[in-house]
Order: sequence, then structure tokens, then C-alpha cells
Amino acid sequence: MTAGPFPGGDRPAGCAGRAIIEVTGLWHTYMAGTPFEQTALRGVSMDVRAGEVVGILGRTGSGKSTLIQYLNGLMRPVRGRVVVDGHDLANPRTDLRTVRQRVGLVFQDPETQMFEPLVGDDVAYGPRQLRLPAEEIRARVRWAMDAVGLPFERFKDRYTFSLSGGEMRKAALAGVLAIRPRVLVLDEPTSGLDPGARAELRRRIQDLRDREGLTLVLVSHDMEEVARLSDRLYVLQDGAVAAAGPTREVFGDAARLAAVGLLPPEPVQIVQRLRALGMAVRPDALTVEEAADAVAALLDG
Amino acid sequence: MSEFELLRNITIGQYLPTGSYLHRMDARAKIVATLLLVGAVSFTPTLAGNAVLIVVCLGIVALGRIPMTYALRGLLPALPLLVILAVMQLLFFGRAYDPSSPVVFHWGWIVVTAAVLRLVIISAARFVELLFVTSVFTLTTTTTELTHGIESLLRPLRRFRVPGHELALVVTIAIRFVPTLALEAERLMKAQASRGGGIGGGRWQFVERTRQMLPILVPLFTFALRRGEELIVAMEARAYTGGAGRTTYAVLRGSAADWLVPVAALAFLVAMLRAPFPV
Repeated sequence: MTAGPFPGGDRPAGCAGRAIIEVTGLWHTYMAGTPFEQTALRGVSMDVRAGEVVGILGRTGSGKSTLIQYLNGLMRPVRGRVVVDGHDLANPRTDLRTVRQRVGLVFQDPETQMFEPLVGDDVAYGPRQLRLPAEEIRARVRWAMDAVGLPFERFKDRYTFSLSGGEMRKAALAGVLAIRPRVLVLDEPTSGLDPGARAELRRRIQDLRDREGLTLVLVSHDMEEVARLSDRLYVLQDGAVAAAGPTREVFGDAARLAAVGLLPPEPVQIVQRLRALGMAVRPDALTVEEAADAVAALLDG
Repeated sequence: MSEFELLRNITIGQYLPTGSYLHRMDARAKIVATLLLVGAVSFTPTLAGNAVLIVVCLGIVALGRIPMTYALRGLLPALPLLVILAVMQLLFFGRAYDPSSPVVFHWGWIVVTAAVLRLVIISAARFVELLFVTSVFTLTTTTTELTHGIESLLRPLRRFRVPGHELALVVTIAIRFVPTLALEAERLMKAQASRGGGIGGGRWQFVERTRQMLPILVPLFTFALRRGEELIVAMEARAYTGGAGRTTYAVLRGSAADWLVPVAALAFLVAMLRAPFPV
């Protein structure tokens, strides 16, 4: 676990390692050259450094989903530069499969991509495609399933469709983890789950960073979730970066967030309102616990 | 640039509002005219006739104010099929098809006669013409117009218990699902590629490509079934009971002049069948 009293957001961005993904001036147009063409990204620049959790926020249609498809080489840039772990995606000699092994991308509702009848087989799809030896495949599947909280022995021979919604989501996540990426990109990882499964999955995601040393990129609508998990944020609007910086800074700037049509997490809103009423509450509380502490400190005087 | 952008090359089932005369035309007249043109394409067995048809097709594309590059892009997905078809015909027809025709190429057991060569060119041309005619039809007709058009055309057959409304609905849903399924397939290809799936293989490595389709096809079928069920529930929730006594929001109204188009198409069909093309 991270040291310090508060989860997420505490480690100054500067202490993270070197940039593992660098995006510079990236543009993207869908259906280019047809009457349906539509520009989704307008000169986005961002970077992801080894060991940090980067959150990407933005309303529907702001370009989040398009952007993350560049991070693992699903698309090659036509205008702009994307460098993933030293591989320039625009270079036609870059093997995109290598890039996709370094960066795992978990799409929204990943359970819809499962196709094998047995859970273990489905998780093994990736490693099998990599043509690894059988023991290595087994070891990776075991590791991936244990890492997401589906004990290997108990779940490997379960029928995929007999899993609960939360278990299925975790199994799909394990399917991406099994290719052992260094960076994991998650698109709305907890959407559509019940609160219990959501909290559990969130904890597992945190463990992936803290215990397994994965670098994470998190796309979410859930402000609370982003606040808890991310070190740094990028806010997208109409395909461009509207705000970027450490999580506390971005959420602290209520006016700027409002300008792009987003509200900060509720605890932040409460603290901001208290301060607007003239109370000297600590301004940088992010989570419910921090807000509670801040209010308690105020009451204690 | 993306190896996954499937919809880009699918022009069938898309609607492209350019406001041309073909867009404004009565859907019923357009359906009849399209069928007659399809007939003309299917029954023209000569090289010169097919050349005329290609020119007519390009004229129709222009009349619909559809960008030529966009119409041509629709041919791309059909290209491998066309090539396979041509190769099969060239390799295996030999002398079996019209033995009296002179041999133009002979190597081992491969024999290509002039008649086969002619057949290859004509079948490829037919394919392209059919794609043009049907693409222009769907690009200029909304699904609503299509449904009402089919339903209205089938109405006289109701006394023979032909379920016109239901047939029209089936066609509409089938067409409506093409882009939906293409988008979902695209999403699944990307998702499987993101966990190590080697989607791809060369464009021409068919066996490899087919084997790798399984992780896409299984979830795609599940998706299609689920969407189908959702559609049923949604229709029943809105008290859908079939065609009887249903009034329509979009009323088909075309001018009498619109019916001159199928008349012209019929005249064209007859002319094509009767014309003494030399080759």
C-alpha cells in the first residue's frame, strides 16, 4: 500500500518513473474520406509515466474511447505522434502486436468478449495466441485469476455463463492481465456493477498498482472512483485536453470543471460549499473519508 | 488509419442524404425501377450490353449525387470474392463450357477458351453493376420509406394471405442490423486483439483468417440474439400487434411523374433484351 494517510492523489506526479506512453498533438478523424467523416481528437497531448495511475475524464463523445485505442496500438496515428515504450506507432515497421502485449486494454463491458465455455480457457486465450509453453500459460492464468480475486482452482472449470456479473467482469479483466502487460488501460471498469461488486473490483484495481506494480490508465464517469484511484488527471472536451494535472489540483478548480460540464466528486463539492460559507475547512479533501476528517478537524477547532 | 474500421467499406444499408431527385422519389416507384434494373443486369449476356449497363450505373450514381469514390469504396469488400470467382472459372471450366470456342491459353491441364474469358468478364461486370444498383437504392432510401414501400406494393396480395406488413418489417430489421452488427464486430475484433488475439493474417490467408474468426463470431451471435430479444420486448412494450389497422406517420406521396422512372426502366430492360449486341 502507499504510505500516507490518504489513498490516491498523494504521491506527487514527479516521483513517478519515466514516460512509458507519450502522445503528442494527436488528431483522429472517423470515416475519413467518406461523407460521414467526423473529427474525434483535435491535437491531444498526454503522457503516462511508469508506476502511476492516470485518470481520463470527459463527457460522452469527448474522445476518451478514441484516445485509449491509440494507447495500445489499435490505431496508428495519421497526424500526431504516439510512442509506447519506445515504439513509434507511426513507423510502419513497428510490430503492433508487441505494443498490444505491453499495454493491455480492457474495453467497456469486457464480459461481452468472452467466448470459451470454461472460464480458465477464456483467460488462457491471450497466452495461447502468444504460443507460450503449456506450463507458462497455466502459470499466467493462475496468476491473473488470483490477481483479480477469482481463485484459480475454484473458478478455472466453471462455466463462463454461470458466473455472476461481478465475477464475469473480473474474469474478462483476468483475460487481459494474462498477456502480462506493463500498462493496463481500463474503460469504465466498474460501470453496471452493483455497489458491492464495484467496491471489490476497485480494491482489486488498486492492488494491481500497489502489489503488481502495473501502470494504470483509468477512464471513468464516476468522479468518486477517479478521485480515489488516480494520481493525475486529463480532462477531455470536444477531442482536446481541457484540463490536466494532479488529481487534487484539477478537482480543486471547480470553475474550470464546470466549464467543461463536469462536477467534482460529492465530498469535494461539500468541502467547497463549506468554504464558500466562510468555514476554514481543509480545501484538498478528495474522498468521503478525507472530507469527514476535514469536517471533524474543523469541529474540534 | 485503422485495420478495424469495418463500416468505412460497407455502403449497403447506409443512407446518404444528399437531397437528389432519387432521394425525393416515391419509394414504391424506386423499388419497382430497381427490380427492373436488377433484371436488366441479370439477363444481359453480352460484353457490349454490360458496357452499356456500367455506363448507366455510373449515371445513376451521379443522379443520386453520391460521391464516386464513396460508391467505388463499396466494391472493396467484394474484391476477394470477385477474384476467387474469376480464378475458379478460369481454372476449371476448360473446354466443358462451349467446346467449339477457340482456345486462347493452354498450359498443362489448364485450358482457357475465348468463351470462358468472356464469361469471366461478364460475371465480374454483373457483380459490380448489381452492387452499384443496390447501393444507390439503399443510399437514397431511408428504411422507413423502404418498409412502407414494400408494404404498399404487397397490399394487393393480401387477399392471397401474403403477410405484406410482416415481410416488410423483416426486411427493415435485417437492413437496420447491418451497421449495428458491423460496429459490434469491430468492437470485438479490437477487444480480442487487445488481449493478444492475432486478428489479421494476410488478406488472402483464408483458412487462418477463418480460424481466428471464432472469438469474434461466438460473442457476435450472442450479441445478435440478445439485441433481437431486446427488440421484441421493446416492440411488445409499445403494444405492437402487427399491421392490421395501423396508420403511418410517414405517408408516401410521390407525383405521377415518379412512375415514369419505372416505365423508363422497363423500356430499358426490354431494349437490353432485344438489342442486337454484336458481342
